[in-house]
This record gives sequence, structure tokens and C-alpha cells, in this order.
Amino acid sequence: MSQTVCPRCTTSGAVDDYQGKEDGKVVWTIHRCPTCCFSWRDSEPASAIGLGIRSADFAVDAANLDRYPKILQQ
Amino acid sequence: MMQDLAKRSRSITSLRDFLEMLGDAGQAITWSDRVMPEPDVRNIAVAASRDANGAPAILFDNIAGYPGKRTAVGVHGSWDNIALLLGRPKGTTIRELFFEIAGRWGDAAAQISTVPEGQAPVHECRIESGINLYDVLPVYRINEYDGGFYLGKASVASRDPEDPDNFGKQNVGIYRLQLQGPDSFTLMTIPAHDMGRQILAAERTGLPLKIAVMLGNHPGLAVFAATPIGYEESEYSYASAMMGAPIRLTTSGNGIDILADSEIVIEAEMVLGERVVEGPFGEFPGSYSGVRKAPIFKVTAISHRKNPIFENIYIGRGWTEHDTLIGLHTSAPIYAQLRQNFPEVTAVNALYQHGLTGIVSVKNRMAGFAKTVALRALSTPHGVMYLKNLIMVDADVDPFDLNQVMWALSTRTRADDIIVLPNMPAVPIDPSAVVPGKGHRLIIDATSYLPPDPVGEAHLVTPPTGPDIDELSKKIRAMQLGAAQ
Ligand SMILES: [Zn+2]
Repeated sequence: MSQTVCPRCTTSGAVDDYQGKEDGKVVWTIHRCPTCCFSWRDSEPASAIGLGIRSADFAVDAANLDRYPKILQQ
Repeated sequence: MMQDLAKRSRSITSLRDFLEMLGDAGQAITWSDRVMPEPDVRNIAVAASRDANGAPAILFDNIAGYPGKRTAVGVHGSWDNIALLLGRPKGTTIRELFFEIAGRWGDAAAQISTVPEGQAPVHECRIESGINLYDVLPVYRINEYDGGFYLGKASVASRDPEDPDNFGKQNVGIYRLQLQGPDSFTLMTIPAHDMGRQILAAERTGLPLKIAVMLGNHPGLAVFAATPIGYEESEYSYASAMMGAPIRLTTSGNGIDILADSEIVIEAEMVLGERVVEGPFGEFPGSYSGVRKAPIFKVTAISHRKNPIFENIYIGRGWTEHDTLIGLHTSAPIYAQLRQNFPEVTAVNALYQHGLTGIVSVKNRMAGFAKTVALRALSTPHGVMYLKNLIMVDADVDPFDLNQVMWALSTRTRADDIIVLPNMPAVPIDPSAVVPGKGHRLIIDATSYLPPDPVGEAHLVTPPTGPDIDELSKKIRAMQLGAAQ
């Protein structure tokens, strides 16, 4: 399990989905949190992806994922 | 000149054709300075959409980390671009564009032609293994707190899982898609939308639900496919009839009718019964949706043209491309439906936040008549969920000219000329709703007074109006532009 921490739900274990490259050099990496499904690029401004800097209004509660309703239930 | 534009508009078959037409008219620019995916693409798109009348489409071809890839925004981002799509010159007024669309109903028959898969430009390049959506799509975060990377302008085509051979029951609609890893995405819809119905049907029956996600499409499709038309009417046929031009279709690898000239088509199948965390997403009311769990689709193949253009939209707090994209075609059906009962209705402006505020102009038949018409508007298919604030004005007020609407509010509205209808249906993402899905409606009658009202009409100043004055106004503008050069 990776040590990359999700800036939205603060769990670790994010996976790398893609690396933007120029002339063979990595310019940025896109990470994804398998817990809360947040995807982010490590080159984004800290206001969006900085752990503890991001607005708390948009945090996802990893310990309580049941609170997020499922759409289109029969 | 105008005939040339109309002819050229009808000859458009693809995004590329339209970008060329826009470029020739000074309505498309290429942004070749190096930009970061965030926040630069968003910032530039937002800065452009400040000019709702004249903003150009912007083609980015130098995005850091995406060498050789291209992204287009703002294709439908101004009234001038919409005018050109409809074959009308730049500077055509919103009111004229409204009547252009309203006048096209029932005007032409659909012309659908079929292109063999082997000859369809969309299939020039094909990926069936080792799929990574990020290899093809130069995505970026549309709004700062979106839950991920979204495709905001994807037309999703699907067949009815219970009636897969029925052409008319194919659905084409715009749904927001959030990438969920290299070969997966979630799709957000509500049960009332066609896609919502198909998802529920597939899960009820266990039948597979296959879809084709079209990106970078014929520009008429996005304008005319987002309409509340009958479920059994094909959006392709409808778009063709409204454009007065042929639509070229081909078949996707998973058997769905798709546009032959789209830039990119993603074929996918729903994972039955599965839901994953989706959102938030900055939506058209200018606020973020909540976080919910949505159906997830697995990508099975990707087709794309050589050197494809990824088309996306900025959507959020208005004014944005979303407003110019859907505004007129939100207004026109309400107008047509009202006129079936009330030919006194002269125009409908539902441009604001998908019609959360609407302005209707009407010739009052009797005192209080405008209120009756307003109640009918609330029962139109779009009005049921969306028309939250309705302003009724007289036929001598252009509902597309907010200066005139404000004049009517200032001089013809009495404080007791409003109606509040409490606890009505509301679109779930309206942030003012009492609870999501339930809210109040407001009708403001800003029309003048007829007998038996004792006040009567004021002695109005009647400044010159009409087509001659409209022409003079355009001429002054053209002279001014000439003088500046
Ligand atoms: Zn997370």
C-alpha cells in the first residue's frame, strides 16, 4: 500500500493513475484515493490539494462513508 | 452574406468544421502559450465567459504534461458563436436567435445518413487493450473543489436495455462524468432522465447497459440533445431537423449509433448494482453538488480521430458557457407549449440558471391574465421542476432586455402583485430549496393594468422601436468598430 495521503479524507493508500511527461521527464502525477474516490494532480495549487490547507468544507468522512447516499436505488 | 452563413452552417458535420467557421469569423483563438492544467485552463475559460455576447472558442495546444494534445473550451460560449451555428451573423440579438430557434420547429425533416464503420473518421484510431483514459483525454479540474476530473460536455448515447433494436428509444443526453481511474467513470443522473430510467431497467432485469460517450461533437447535438422532448423521439433526428442539415451516424464497437465525425468516443458498460463515491461538482446554479454514490462504468474501448480535440465546458457561477449552450433551447419549448393554450404569449426568456428564473411576455387579455399564464408555465415539462421565479411582463417589454424588464418591475409592479406557492417540486441542486427537491415558487406580475382595475395604463412615452431602430443600432456599432480601426 502506498504512503500517499489523500488531502480530502486523509487516509493513505492512494494509487498513481497517470504521469504527465515531457521529453521523458515526469511533469506531474495524478493520484486517486481508493477510499473516497478523490482524484488529484500533484501540481495543483495547495488550496485544492494541500493536506490541512484545503477547505474543510469539502472534506469527506472516511470513517462514515455510509452517510453519502446512493443514487438510483430501486 | 447571410445566405452564405446559412449555407455554411448547414454544411457543418463536426466540431472541426465549426471551429474553422468560428475562426474565419474571428470567433475562435488558439492558446499556444504553455499553461498548467490547473488553474490556468479554468482561469482562461472563466475570463473568456465574461463576454457573453462575443467570447471566442479557445483551443489549447500547449498544456503542461499533455504534449501534442488539444483541448477546446467555449465552443458554445457566446451568443455570437450560437448565432454562427444557426447561420446568422455576429451581432444577431438574443431575441432574434430565440425566434430563429422557435421558428424552426416542425420546419424540416430529419436527414440521417449512415457511414460504414471503416470509413467513419471517429474510428481512425482504436484502443481496445491497455486502456488509460488519461492517455487520450487532457483533463483538468473544472472547479477547485470538484471531486475529480470531469467530462462536462459529453453526449452519452445508449440503447434501451429492454428494447435494444428500437432506434427511437436510443437516448442521447449530456451527463456529467467523473473519471474513476484509468478505465472507469461514474455517471450522474436522476431517475426522471432517460439514462436514469435505463440504469434502473438494466439493474431490475440484469440486462447489460452499454453506452458510447461522444466528445467533441457536431455542435448542433449539444444544443438540441439536452431538450425535454418525448422519450421515443430520437435526439439525432431532432438535432438534424433543427439544424436543417444531415447528421452522419456510424456504429460504435459496442453496437450503438454514434456521430461519425466526433473527435473521441468512449465505449463502456455499467457495472450492475455497483455505486461509488461521486462529487462534489460545481453545477449550473453556481454551487457545488453534494457527495453521493453513483453508478460506475467500465471502459471497453476508445475510438478517436487522428490528433483529436478534447472538448470541455466551464460550468459554475454564471455567466458561463452552460448558459449560452442551453439557454435558448430551454426557452423555446416553454414558449411553444404556452402558445398552444395562450397565443397571447409573445416570448419566453428562461436563460438564467436553466430557467430557475424566467421572464414571460404576454398580451394581457383581461386583468390578472398574466398570472393565469404564469400558472400554466409552471405546469410545462420544464416548468414543473425548474421555473422557480417567474416575472410576467407585457408584450411591449422585451424579456431578453433586462433594462426593459427592470423598467416593468419599477413601474408596473405592485407589492401585492406577487404570488408565492409554497412547498412545490424543486430541482434537487437548487441551493435555495427548503430541502433538496422541495421549495417555493414566486410569480411577479409586472404587467400593466386593465379594467376593472381603476388605474389603467399610464400615458406612456413611446420612443421609436422596431426593426429600423434595431438596424440603426447595429449600424452605429459597426461605424464605431470601423472608427476604432
Ligand atoms: Zn480520500
